[in-house]
Amino acid sequence: MNYSFVILTGYENAYNKAVSHDMTNKPMHILFVEDELKIANFVQAGLKEQGFVVDYCDNGDEGCCRALTYEYDAIVLDIMVPGKDGLSILKQLRRERRNSPVILLTARNELDDRLAGLNLGADDYIAKPFFVEELVARIHAVVRRSVGERQNLLSVGPLKLDRISREVTCDDAAVELTTREFNLLEYLMRSPGRVFTRTQILEHVWGYDFSPNTNVVDVCIQRIRKKIDPIGGKGWIESIRGVGYRFRKSEEV
Amino acid sequence: MGFGAISWWLIYNAKINLLDAKLGVPLVMAARFQSNRGWERLENVLSEQRGTPDGAIGAAWLLNEPGKTLYRSQQWPSDLNIEAWLRSLPISFRPFGQEEDRSSQNSVDFSPGAPSLIASISSRSPLKRSFTTQKTASGKWRVGAIATPNQRIAIAVNLQNIHQEMATIRTIFMIAIPGVLLLVAGGAWALSGQALHPIRQLTGAIQSVTVRGLDQRVPTQSIDMEFVELIQMFNQMLERLERSFKQSSRFSANAAHELKTPLAILQGELERALHKAEVGSPIQQSLGYLLDEVCRLSEIVRKLLLLSLADAGQLSLHAVDVNLSAMVTEMAEDIGLLAPDLQVQTDIGSGLRVSGDRDLLARVFHNLISNAIKYNLPEGWISIRVYRRAAMVWVTIINASSDIPEGERDRIFDRFYRGDPARSRKVEGTGLGLNLSREIARAHGGDLTLDPTPLGQTSFTLRLL
Repeated sequence: MNYSFVILTGYENAYNKAVSHDMTNKPMHILFVEDELKIANFVQAGLKEQGFVVDYCDNGDEGCCRALTYEYDAIVLDIMVPGKDGLSILKQLRRERRNSPVILLTARNELDDRLAGLNLGADDYIAKPFFVEELVARIHAVVRRSVGERQNLLSVGPLKLDRISREVTCDDAAVELTTREFNLLEYLMRSPGRVFTRTQILEHVWGYDFSPNTNVVDVCIQRIRKKIDPIGGKGWIESIRGVGYRFRKSEEV
Repeated sequence: MGFGAISWWLIYNAKINLLDAKLGVPLVMAARFQSNRGWERLENVLSEQRGTPDGAIGAAWLLNEPGKTLYRSQQWPSDLNIEAWLRSLPISFRPFGQEEDRSSQNSVDFSPGAPSLIASISSRSPLKRSFTTQKTASGKWRVGAIATPNQRIAIAVNLQNIHQEMATIRTIFMIAIPGVLLLVAGGAWALSGQALHPIRQLTGAIQSVTVRGLDQRVPTQSIDMEFVELIQMFNQMLERLERSFKQSSRFSANAAHELKTPLAILQGELERALHKAEVGSPIQQSLGYLLDEVCRLSEIVRKLLLLSLADAGQLSLHAVDVNLSAMVTEMAEDIGLLAPDLQVQTDIGSGLRVSGDRDLLARVFHNLISNAIKYNLPEGWISIRVYRRAAMVWVTIINASSDIPEGERDRIFDRFYRGDPARSRKVEGTGLGLNLSREIARAHGGDLTLDPTPLGQTSFTLRLL
């Protein structure tokens, strides 16, 4: 079989954190099936920056072949690809008892596709347009889930965040956060060092569009700071002037 | 029936006129007679007529000018008293004397006994004849009379024969006209049924086509020739309809892909560039702005797609059990973040659940609450109530606001409608929200309405099944 691995180089493995969750510290291997080359470019670049090793194919037949031939840590499948479509590949994978977690990419808003995908055994779906950061977070989530790793604890610097109990502690002192505040902090903390614009934060935390001039994010950040600053969280949420916010990476402290 | 009655009346009148004409002849004749023997002759004429089929019992009465009865037939009915009428008749003047008696009477061969009379008849000097119908115990009598300077003569004829004939005609009419009418109605019914049969067939065919879908066509072979063209036109219309319907639904399906792919590329590349850029640098700020605008554009595209799906009736709901109370409570919290100066009053019944699409419903609440904030007054207030009424869950969101002009209340749900121009400048938005919210509410079997409120308030109520 003739495999044409398209591996773009030139992007630094900036964080090198996308290692397997099975304690072997191997980089995670991702199969990425997407026919739109320009989307594929930035997704691959983004994933590689995050330390993933990406196998890319631009059609369903080849994608299906690879998925059946190799063990991947996760598979990202566009539903509408030439050749075998995403759902058929998923169906075949599950039929042949391949349990690699699958994330479906869809440009269509149609719930039927989403539901069909989830029923066929997809682990998650993500609608276009999406942020690569979001995709990375989802990949980590499904991989953790697939290896049975507890994924509820997020810890950066002195801050610890429990996704299940929704508790936030800073140097062992507990902080009470509202739903929105918790979700915002979790969003920032899951990608330390990454800058998020206000709109990005709005879209993720609130889900829907506020008027672009809203200061809801700033107000919410202020409230979080007010709560975590006195117990040692001061300075961890950084304002980036004219852009948005980021959570400081622990190495930088 | 009217036709029957009128024809009957016309026939009756014609018969009476004919009788009058026949009466006229002996009258004129009688006007010439002087002696009693003349009366006898007249009597003979009358009795001869009596034998003919349309002859009736005739009788004559003669008065001389002073009013004395000169002669009265034996047949004259005793209760037929026309003396007063006869006396009152105006006298017809005969300037040429009796020998030159003239009459307008046409030549009727009324009697072989008076050939000379016929010859003498002319129209030069009409004698005025009068007629009347009198009712007696022996039936109706038609009386004709002539008054001359010397005498007044009346001849009466019994109308019994005519009445008998008329009764026969009436009977015929009574039977024939309803019969004919029934025949005509039945015939018309049968004919129109025959003519409409292909149309009924066509209706059936069209009905089954619309039931089964736009890709069906009405078959042309089994239908009458006259309708083939109509069916062809109908089929062509169906084809165009199907094409445009397919186009629009294909747009709905593909527009997502077509629009979202470039947006995804833009967003992805911008995201990457943003992170490559030096933190806090002007270039990163520009990239941040661009990314925000792209996000906004994506949101508009999403909304338009939802609307186009709703328009096509394809707004598919991913219905799950939604805890409306919790959802609204969470949304109400945002008001504190968005507008800390607003007073918020909530009355949210606990554990109110509906079956609906969580994402879409959240969109509706978000839209209503952000409108309540956007269009609020400084130091204003918002009141949110969630309660169950009948089988539905009601959510009422009231806020302080400047008044919505009466004329704009109807337009508030229009697509791209945005308050008044003065407000639009300072309030951001796309003008799609309320329209989409209402579509979503309706897709859930509920509705979204603008409630009548006192001045200085705006109130929306969402009802969900």
